[in-house]
Amino acid sequence: MPSEQTIESMPVEALERLTEGKAKILSEIRKAIIGQEEIVNDVVTSFFAGGHCLITGVPGLAKTLLISSLGLAMDLTFRRVQFTPDLMPADITGTEVLEEDRTTGQRNLAFRPGPIFTNILLADEINRTPPKTQAALLEAMQEHQVTVSGSTYTLDEPFFVLATQNPIEQEGTYPLPEIQQDRFMFSLFIDYLPKDEEVAVIDATTTSAEAEIDVCMTGSELLEYQDLVRRIPVAEPVVRYAVALASRSRPTGADAPDFVRDYVAWGASIRASHYMVLGAKARAALAGRPHVSVQDIQSVAYPVLRHRIITNFRAESEGIRSEQIIERLLEAVPPPRSGL
Amino acid sequence: MTEPAEPMRGGPSEPEAHQAVLDRVKAAREAIVGELRKLIVGQDEPIDQVLVTMLAGGHCMIQGPPGTAKTLLATCIAKVMDLSFKRIQFTPDLMPSDISGTEILEEDQTTGHRVLKFARGPVFSNIVMADEINRTPPKTQAALLEVMQERQVTLGGRTYPLPEPFYVLATQISLEQEGTYPLPEAQQDRFMLSVAMNYLPEDDEVSVVRHSTSAETVALEKVIGADDLMAFMRAVRDVAMPRELSNYVVELVASSRPTVDGCPDFVKEYVAWGAGLRASQNITLAAKSAAAQDGRATVEVSDVRKAIMPVMRHRIGLSFRAEVDRVSVEDITQRLVEACPEPAVA
Repeated sequence: MPSEQTIESMPVEALERLTEGKAKILSEIRKAIIGQEEIVNDVVTSFFAGGHCLITGVPGLAKTLLISSLGLAMDLTFRRVQFTPDLMPADITGTEVLEEDRTTGQRNLAFRPGPIFTNILLADEINRTPPKTQAALLEAMQEHQVTVSGSTYTLDEPFFVLATQNPIEQEGTYPLPEIQQDRFMFSLFIDYLPKDEEVAVIDATTTSAEAEIDVCMTGSELLEYQDLVRRIPVAEPVVRYAVALASRSRPTGADAPDFVRDYVAWGASIRASHYMVLGAKARAALAGRPHVSVQDIQSVAYPVLRHRIITNFRAESEGIRSEQIIERLLEAVPPPRSGL
Repeated sequence: MTEPAEPMRGGPSEPEAHQAVLDRVKAAREAIVGELRKLIVGQDEPIDQVLVTMLAGGHCMIQGPPGTAKTLLATCIAKVMDLSFKRIQFTPDLMPSDISGTEILEEDQTTGHRVLKFARGPVFSNIVMADEINRTPPKTQAALLEVMQERQVTLGGRTYPLPEPFYVLATQISLEQEGTYPLPEAQQDRFMLSVAMNYLPEDDEVSVVRHSTSAETVALEKVIGADDLMAFMRAVRDVAMPRELSNYVVELVASSRPTVDGCPDFVKEYVAWGAGLRASQNITLAAKSAAAQDGRATVEVSDVRKAIMPVMRHRIGLSFRAEVDRVSVEDITQRLVEACPEPAVA
């Protein structure tokens, strides 16, 4: 299994460049986006970890602006797809069309790549589209390739999906099945801005000035940093802590706490432990630290576990949501005692 | 032993050649498991059962919570056996043609005639992973089960054979959720084994996560190919099954049927319907497959013992009373095994 990485073997200059790069990216995004620090930070973290994000929030909270600014700052191609009830899988992946060669008159089937052939895809209101179309996107997310009438096409790298869900109960939506939500690394909540920040947004967006975003990192550099993130060493007790957080959330487990048995229908899978450790590595790397701390795990626990702990009917009737379960898990599972 | 002409059924015509193939089966199995071990931590029993099913030419159902390496196991097996692999996510709006394929209009470049061409669906693959099969309506489930049985797709009067070998590995969601379409018993019966994959012990989960979040990548080596598999599958069927063991299997399976005279009391109480003829067939085949993978030309009691649980798991329907008393199919099967004495075979 993994060869032991050591703190000494970490390329310190690369880490320094990464922290500088991240600071530059954040300051570029600040030109366009006001507030929402936590969301911006989490999205950037998932970017460097190579995971996808699911964002829940009402329209008009700058989700598109955030992700397109990020694309500009990293010199990545960006596409947005509005998911609708009549969207078909081929509208995302692409289709074969009959083309005529002008010189020879021969007709050939040619593949027209769909909007998924991009570095960053904003899948807006993914819960408005029927399950087959959702599944087409999720499959491409997982496999980084699409298959159209027998031929397989590889997606561009890096490939990152930011899907949004509108939380307002509306007719004609198709909630994403819990198990398919598992494919997203982070589940984030975006809320209305505090009043003073909203004023600042109104000020900034009703003038003629337009924010110019400079390129501060390229796609191939991002791929190198994703590799660097995976090389950050993590101590065994820290991994054990992440695994314990995930496994204690499973109501069938032998050491599940009582509140989990009472309120949880379905606990977090091993993907949760995986993404907590990977997210924590990204967080450490972005902070320029060549090792993963317990705080790194704790800070990614909410976005990683939120959509993976599914509460039962009793929890719903008592108004208990997965956040409260995560809070109690963090209290119930003792962190490792070393000074990490 | 009343039929002297046929003391054991299924004997090969050339025992030495048969044994030579069985030796290859054993060596291949060890190499395959060795490759899988590079990427899959734990899950010894599921790996064993999936290999037993594949070498017996059957399809299998994999049950277990999400994230228990079900897809990983299937893709790794496809790699080491050099087989084509497709995964189909079953959804409520999936149509039969999304699985089997459709006819499209195409123009012949030389004559200008338009012809209907068959665009093959994802089922044209050696291994098809049918994910969350109970999320799709019955008509689409039936389309998959039909191709599983017939190993061909018929459309517009033409028949298109599937590639050989052909295996379906299906998963079901075990969440009690709205909008699921439980697979009818008769359809579940088409799966040879039902494999249970569970969460790993914490120590194993730690080592999986340490590996999966690192920068290391592991390449799996091809161990065998489709032709080897076809030969192995024939050799499995030629493994001999002692008559006493056949009798035991039939008796054990019959004792699970609550309508049969002399079935145990707990069966009458807890079982709504018992296992059918396919159960005895599949226990026999799985036992032969297990024997072959051990390089043996004759089935032993231990081969049968291993096959019982995964074959019976999805073939016994529990009564309401069993649900109230929290009795599981595993409990019933365990008690059936205890109630039916194993034959003494030399």
